[in-house]
Order: sequence, then structure tokens, then C-alpha cells
Amino acid sequence: MEQQAIWAIGIFLVIYALIIAEKIHRTIVAMIGGGLMVVLGIVDQETAVHHIDFNTLGLLIGMMILVNITAETGVFKYIAVVAAKKARGEPVRILIALALITAVGSAFLDNVTTVLLMVPVTFSITRQLRVNPIPFLITQILASNVGGTATLIGDPPNIMIGSAVKELTFMAFIENLGPIAVIIMAVHIPLFILLFRNQIQTTDELKRSMMKMDETQLITDRKLLKKSLTVLGLTILGFFLHQLLHLESATVALAGAFLLLLFTGEHVMEEAFARVEWMTIFFFVGLFVLVSGLIETGVISQLAKTAIELTGGDLTATSMLILWLSAIASAFLDNIPFVATMIPMIQEMGNMGVSNLEPLWWSLALGACLGGNGSLIGASANVIVAGMSGKEGYPISFVQFFKYGFPLMLLSIILSSVYVYIRYLM
Amino acid sequence: MLTYQYNQDIIRIRETVNKDDVEFHIQVLKEKPFVDHLKQVQNFFEDNEVYTDVLFYAYADHEYRVIVRHDYYTDFILALMKHRLLQSVKWEKEGLTDSEQ
Repeated sequence: MEQQAIWAIGIFLVIYALIIAEKIHRTIVAMIGGGLMVVLGIVDQETAVHHIDFNTLGLLIGMMILVNITAETGVFKYIAVVAAKKARGEPVRILIALALITAVGSAFLDNVTTVLLMVPVTFSITRQLRVNPIPFLITQILASNVGGTATLIGDPPNIMIGSAVKELTFMAFIENLGPIAVIIMAVHIPLFILLFRNQIQTTDELKRSMMKMDETQLITDRKLLKKSLTVLGLTILGFFLHQLLHLESATVALAGAFLLLLFTGEHVMEEAFARVEWMTIFFFVGLFVLVSGLIETGVISQLAKTAIELTGGDLTATSMLILWLSAIASAFLDNIPFVATMIPMIQEMGNMGVSNLEPLWWSLALGACLGGNGSLIGASANVIVAGMSGKEGYPISFVQFFKYGFPLMLLSIILSSVYVYIRYLM
Repeated sequence: MLTYQYNQDIIRIRETVNKDDVEFHIQVLKEKPFVDHLKQVQNFFEDNEVYTDVLFYAYADHEYRVIVRHDYYTDFILALMKHRLLQSVKWEKEGLTDSEQ
């Protein structure tokens, strides 16, 4: 192995360990790792920039701007309260309703943004009913990762896969991952009821108080609401049609964001840009450059070769290996750097003669997205909800989440294995 | 303890103390401009970074249920005062109730 490759592996492993240790913010660590790859000459600057996937970044930025402006109107609170009233103030029904809203929201907005919108509403509803918010938050974490699996924009791993593989369009994600996401949600819901119903009891008086709420007062700006929902609807339509329009998903999201900013005016722009999670964006930049070091020095192709040797090039064995490895790894490691490493590896398998890569891509998406449910640190949405909950005096411990999340994650991966086998490998 | 006075022709306030919070039932009797003033109080607490400090629930006829965490009680009362929903706010000796003053 060349000296450059050894340096690249060394930097990658140290940076990965630092990301897991969480002693220094992951964005700083990833950017330093990417910087070292360039400074030490493992990749030149032009190659490093070439490896940064601007489609992933553009899609994330565009959606963050769109959703943050829409949230200002109070529409997401309105939807949650209407759902709670439709559930007649019954906590178990509300738990299911909020989990379903989270799943659908995660599919079409992205799961990190969705949980950021859902957590404050959940605190408001649970405080009103005087019930423990933790079962609601745990089910929303699980639902966000399942719902996010269904679409190209639902979860960062899917955004990265969809961006790297041009044939995997928005519709392709829905057609291939939508059915299994619906099946997994349908299996999870009765389990949520079984697991949490005894922990969330309230009084009839508090239910009646919820039923009397005037939800129309939650809409704070009707003009902005009309503009936001129109543009959000057009953007989602744009995702469905992006292949026909010959546009990248990032172009659709950014066009939607700037169209809305055009309608809303400059006073909204500053706030909208301030709310973009730039730390996440730069985390991606650092990772793309970090992984470019492994690609350019041939480490990834060597890994792909080893994986093919391990499975004898058998498509079923390779798919199952990727699905389960991604799930277990994503349960305990950040799934974003994991997927950033796996994408070039699967592409390399294609160069090595594996003709049908489709089952491998869907296995990676399912493993990485659903694996996030395995532990509290498994996905960005989990970490964000746990942080917000702890800050409000409701800490969710690693073990507390693990005892619900890990078995449900295993169940979802078993269902996914059967699905991948029947649909692509039989 | 903090005590307050308000104009009963404009607003009615009822307080219930619970284990973790204080619950206010507020009815605004004179819509303009006091409903907007109360909304400004609501916006202030909704825009800060704490989600469970002061939670507002709106009902018909300008009635509101407000759940205030004990550690935000003073902030909430002072916010009502700032937006002219109270006439006066005063620190009283511990142990004295409103009716005893």
C-alpha cells in the first residue's frame, strides 16, 4: 500500500474516532480532517472541491429555508392541535397521530427539520394533558427515521445516495422505499400502543380542556401561510417531476426557497438564512473531502474488492451484508460519515463487474436510515430530540431509548431483508 | 412574594398552583388593544429558547389557559406588567396572600 493511502487511512480513523468520542464538535473535527487531506497533499485542492457534493448541500439549505419560513406561520402547531382534537384528547391516540405526522413530515421535509418542529408542539400538548412527554418523543424519533427512509429528501443518507446516483430519482425512492416504510410504520404502531399506553394517562377534564381549544388562533400570519404552502407544494411537485424537468433535486429546493424569499421580501431573508444549520452543512463539506482522500488513494476500491471476495460476488449475500452492516453501524455511529464511505465503495463494486447495483443502493438506504433507530446516537434526529428534551428537564437516557429502539430497529431490518430479497433478489 | 393588581374591567386572572407549575386562567374583557398585548407576551415566551417556560392555550371569547413553570413565574408577571395587562406589581413579605394585603 502506498504511503499516501496509509496517511489517508490514519487521518480517516483518527477523525472518525473523534467524531464518535463527541469531545470536540463533529463539524470542527470533520473540517480539520478534510483540511489535513489537502494540506498533506493526499488530494489537491481542485480534486477536493470536485468531491464536495453541492447537490446534497443545496438540497439541505433549500429545504431548511423553506421549512423555517413556513414554520413562522404556526401551521405545524395548527396541524398538531387539530390532530390532537381529532384524537378527542386521548393521549394514546395523540401519540399515534403525532408519530404519523412526524413520519409523513420526515418523508417530505426531512426528518431533522420535522423533529425540530414537532418537539415544541409535543411539549405543549403533553403539558396541557399533564402526561409524560418522553413516550411521545421516543415514538417521534422512531417515526422520523422510518418516515425519512421513504423518500430522497427524507433522511441525510438518502439525500447523499440520491445525489451520488443520478438514476435514483425522487420517484424511484418513493416506489422502492415507500412501501417498506409504510409496512414498518404499520407494524410499529400497535407496538407503540402496547409499549406506552400505561405511561400516558390523563383525566377527562384535561381532555375536555383540549377539545375546547381554538386552534385557528395558532395561525399567526395568513398571508405568509398562503405563500409558504403554495411554494412548498410547488417544490414537492418539483421533486416528483425533477427527472422530467432535467433538474437536480437541489435546484428544485433552492428555486423553491428563493421564490418564497422573493414573495416574502428581504426582512424575512436574514432570519431565514440565520436559521440554516450551517454546522451541519460544513460537517458534510468536511466529510466529502475526508472521504475523497480514501477514494483518490485507492483505499475504497480495495475495500470494495475485499467485500466482493467475502461474499463471492453473490448479489444476495452482498445486499444482506450491506443492509445489516449499515444498520448495525448506523445504530452506533453517525450514519452520515458511514454512508459517505459506503457510496464510493458500492460505485467501485459496479466498476468491478457487479452489474445490478440497485439492490445494494436500497440496502444501504434502508440499513443506514432505519439503523439510526438502534440507539440514541444513531441519527441526527435522535440526538437533536434528546438534547431538546434534556434541556427542558426530561432527559432521555441511552439505555431508556435503547430498550425500545434497538429491538424495533432489528424488527425493521428483518422486514427490510425480506422485502429486499422478495423484490430484488428472488 | 410577588403580588399584582389589574383592572377588572379589562382582564380577569385566576391562578392555581400545581406541583411543577402555576396555571393561569386569563380572560381579556376588552379586546382592543389588550388581546394584542397578551399575544405579545405569548410571542416573547414562544420565541425564546425554552419550550416549557410559559405555555399558552387559546380558547373562544379571548380566554386563555397559561401554564407557567415555577422558575418563570416572575418573568411572566413582569411580562404582563410590561405589556400593560397589570396595573401594579409589588414585592410583599413572604406568607402574605393577596387578600391579606
